Amino acid sequence: MATKAIVLNAGRLVRTRLSAIIQPTRANAAVAPDGRLQVRPGQGGVALGIALGSPAGGWVADHLEPGVSLIHPEPAANGALQTLACAGNRVTMVDGPAAGAEGVVFGKHGAVLAMFAATDLARIAPGESAVVVTEGVGLAVEGEPDFACHSCSPRLLERLLVGRDPRDRLRVLIRRVLPAETAAAGIGMPVWRFNMDLHVDQEPLAELTRDLRFGDIVAVQDQDHRFGRQYRKGWLCVGVIAHGVSIAGGHGFGFMTLLTAPGDRIVLEQTDDAALGRLLG
Amino acid sequence: MNRLRDNRTQIVRTAVAGRIAPVRFHTETLNIDRNGRLTLLPGSGGINLDVHCGDPVDQWLADHLMVGASIEDAESLPASPGALHLLACLGNTVRDAAGRTIGVVAGKRGGLAPDFFPPNLVAVEMPDTVAELLKPSDRVVVEAYGRGLVLTDRTELVLANLSPSLLDAMPLREERDRLVVDVTAILPARVAGAGLGSDRWIGDLEITEMEPLIGNTASLHFGDLVAFDGIDARTNRFFNPECVAIGAVAHGPSPAPGHGVGVTILMTGPRSVLQPQIDSSSGFGAAFRRLTHSIAFATPDNGH
Repeated sequence: MATKAIVLNAGRLVRTRLSAIIQPTRANAAVAPDGRLQVRPGQGGVALGIALGSPAGGWVADHLEPGVSLIHPEPAANGALQTLACAGNRVTMVDGPAAGAEGVVFGKHGAVLAMFAATDLARIAPGESAVVVTEGVGLAVEGEPDFACHSCSPRLLERLLVGRDPRDRLRVLIRRVLPAETAAAGIGMPVWRFNMDLHVDQEPLAELTRDLRFGDIVAVQDQDHRFGRQYRKGWLCVGVIAHGVSIAGGHGFGFMTLLTAPGDRIVLEQTDDAALGRLLG
Repeated sequence: MNRLRDNRTQIVRTAVAGRIAPVRFHTETLNIDRNGRLTLLPGSGGINLDVHCGDPVDQWLADHLMVGASIEDAESLPASPGALHLLACLGNTVRDAAGRTIGVVAGKRGGLAPDFFPPNLVAVEMPDTVAELLKPSDRVVVEAYGRGLVLTDRTELVLANLSPSLLDAMPLREERDRLVVDVTAILPARVAGAGLGSDRWIGDLEITEMEPLIGNTASLHFGDLVAFDGIDARTNRFFNPECVAIGAVAHGPSPAPGHGVGVTILMTGPRSVLQPQIDSSSGFGAAFRRLTHSIAFATPDNGH
C-alpha cells in the first residue's frame, strides 16, 4: 500500500523583510564547576574562520556564535526578529564593506545567527545593518496535527523530511540521537525565540557529542517542544547545533529546535548528511 | 540533632534590606500551558495568605506559588538577584521596617538567564496574622546567615541556601562513610527543568514531570526535602551522573512547559558520600513550619 504524500502548507506562509543589526561582541565571565573563573569571547559580533561544518567543540570561547549575530535595538521589533527568523532564511547585508553579501539563518541563541562566506565575514563588523527575509512561522505538514515546527523554513523542512516509513511515520534525517538528560539551560523558556543548551561535558553525553559540528541536525529523546520545552516521555525534538560550549555547568552546545512530534509520528534516520550546510547547499 | 562539625562560628550574620515584591504578570510573554492554552494564574510575588510550609503544593490553583510573603532585592526593577537573594538562607529571620520579626526564609524562586523575566524571589514563612498587616513594597530586612557554611569534616559536600539552624533541624545522620538524608522523593535528572544552568544560590530547580525514581511526589508539601539523582549543584545546577543534589520544596507547580514544583538546593555532593533515603512517614515540610515559628518567635536575638 502506498504511503501518504507529505504535503506542506508552504504556499500560505508570508515572506517578510525584517531589518537587523550585527550585535556587538560580549566578553563573558563564566565559572567552571571547580570554581575557576574565565573571561572569554562570548556571544555576538562576527566570528571569523568558523563555518557550518566546523567542529562545535574545542573553541576557547563562551557560548561562541559562529557567523554573525543579528538583533534589533527596539525590543518589540527584536521579538519579531527572534520569532520570525527561520533556519534557511536569506540574509543580505545592506551597508558596510560587505553590502550586498548574502548569508543564511542557521540558528538562534538570544540573537538570530546567520552564516556568510568566509570572505564576507572578514568584511562585516558589529553595528552594520542587514535584512532578513523571514518565512516559516506557521509551517505544518497536512494531516499531522501533533507534528510542530519552529524556526524552520519550508526549504529546510523539505530536505529534512525524506518520506514516510511503512507505518506512515515521517522520516527525518538526523546526525545523532541524544538522551533526555542532554537537555539543559533553556528548558522552560520560549521555544520559538531562544535556543536550549545541551549538557556535553559529562559522560556518557561527552562521548555522544564530541564530534558534533555547527549545523548538525540532532534529536533529543523524551522532549515535547510544541508550546515550550519540556520533558515528555515518548516525544522527540529535532534541532540544529548553533552555538558553542561554556565552562559553566548546565550550559553547552546551543540547540535550536526545528521540529517536535510524538515517537509514533516520526522516525529518525541517521546520516552524516544531516547537516545544515549540506542540506541547504 | 546531628553532630556534624561545621564552621558556623566563622560565618558572618549580615542585615540585608529589601522589599516585599508586588504580584507581577509578565504580559510581554505568552502565558501558555503544556497544551498550548492560555493560562493566567496568581502565584508570583505578593503576599499569599493561608499558604504555609507543610501545606500540599498542589492545594491551590496557582503558578509558581510560594508560602507567605515574597521578598526581593530593592536596588533594581525588575529585581535582579543582589545581596538579599545571594546571601539569604532558608531558616534566616526576616524583620519589618520597625524591626519586628515577621517570619523566616523558606525558599527561593528564580534563576533564569540574566535580564530575562527575572522573578528572583525569596519566600518568607509567617503567620497569617502577620501577613495580613503587610503589603507589597514594604521594607524588609533579612538577617542573612549561612553563606560560606561548610561541613568541616565533609568538604566534598557543598552547601547552599542553608542556615545553621536549618542544618541542625535537617533529618540527616552519618552512616559509615556516608551522610544519609531523609527525603520525600528522589527524582531522576531527566525531569529537572527550568533552573538548569543557573547559580545554585539563585532560585530553584523545577520538576517538570512527577516521575520519581523512588518515593512519593503525589503529596509534596512546601518545605519537604527532595533529591535529584544525577544533578550537580556545586556551582551551577547541571547533569552529572556521579552527583546528587538535595533541596527543599520552595514553590508549587506551574502549568508552563518545562516548569513545575521548585526545589531550592541545600546540599550537593558525590553519590558515594551523600545518600538520600526515602522517609515514608511524613515530609519535612511540617517540621520546617514548626522550625520557622520557633526561630521567628523565640526570644529576641535567638541563636547568638
